[in-house]
Amino acid sequence: MNTKLNAIETINERTAEQIVSDEFLIARAKILELAATLDRIERARGDVEDTRHMQLLTHGMQILCDDEVDKAKRVQLLMSREYDPRWKDSMSIAKKES
Amino acid sequence: MDYIDPHLHMVSRTTDDYETLARMGCVAISEPAFWAGFDRGSVESFRDYFRQLTEFEPKRAAQYGISHYTWLCINAKEAENVSLSREVIAMIPEFLEAKNVLGIGEIGLNKNTRNEATIFLEHLDLAVKYNQQILIHTPHLEDKYQGTRMILDMLMGDSRIDRSRVLVDHVEEHTIEHVLENGFWAGMTLYPVSKCTPQRAADMIERFGPERLMANSAGDWGPSKPTAIPDLIMELKKRGHSKELIKKIVYDNPKQFFSQSKPFTHG
Ligand SMILES: [Zn+2]
Repeated sequence: MNTKLNAIETINERTAEQIVSDEFLIARAKILELAATLDRIERARGDVEDTRHMQLLTHGMQILCDDEVDKAKRVQLLMSREYDPRWKDSMSIAKKES
Repeated sequence: MDYIDPHLHMVSRTTDDYETLARMGCVAISEPAFWAGFDRGSVESFRDYFRQLTEFEPKRAAQYGISHYTWLCINAKEAENVSLSREVIAMIPEFLEAKNVLGIGEIGLNKNTRNEATIFLEHLDLAVKYNQQILIHTPHLEDKYQGTRMILDMLMGDSRIDRSRVLVDHVEEHTIEHVLENGFWAGMTLYPVSKCTPQRAADMIERFGPERLMANSAGDWGPSKPTAIPDLIMELKKRGHSKELIKKIVYDNPKQFFSQSKPFTHG
């Protein structure tokens, strides 16, 4: 079964201008939080540049600034373990007859 | 606005929370069985928990005019203990005739292990055997995508499963499409840090439309907000969405889904 979604982009009632004006202060605050976090890491002792978490954060921030769409989904996938479609075989889980 | 919270762990909340929920418009709650924060020692511990879910909680909720429904299972975390899980699964039928039981849940995966998958499949057998609806927990954070795909593989690999009677919870931007496109119901969990905010939930409603989609607070013993659905209602109102759309998400959809279980009589 493949129920095609009626992707309702039109359900969005606000214009881009309205969204920027409604959410400017919220987004500004979130950028500042992120900036201050990076400063805090920078000021601290130790080197985290090569750690997995730091690399994920850096890559995530690059997604925010690129020209592609679906940023939330792409950040989510970046932070996700990989899915192997043959997982049942590698875990030796018996397949149901269907 | 009247609303239904389709996923809320009231055993971990106070009676004051029931009162606040009632004041905010909550008219019905469905409470899936879950992890208590520690692993339980024996099947008897689960039997007592199921008595709490089927006898005590409905009474506590009724004091505030809230209808209380529940789902039974051994959660994915404790499913790592396969022998205990099998004892619990064998005991569940004792409770399936209780007046407020909607089905089997929240079953799912946690760390996406072989034992978890084995017990998930045995829960599916139980649900099919007793013609029960299913409520599914998908894993959190980095395990969510992989775990959700594995869960969908198991559900879709079983031709006995009626997808319109399965609710897959805790969907986020990277999993919602897989769930809806394949004919299942999807639940978005509004949770302070690790899951989804009211804003992102509103975005997903705008992106994917309101069909087979609902929202829940999954309030529990951790940092969580049992009144998160009113926050989503406010966000949707602020964005200029219609009353009909909002009502469909927070009331009509849960009602339509739950009505497929005999004990659900609300409204
Ligand atoms: Zn839960």
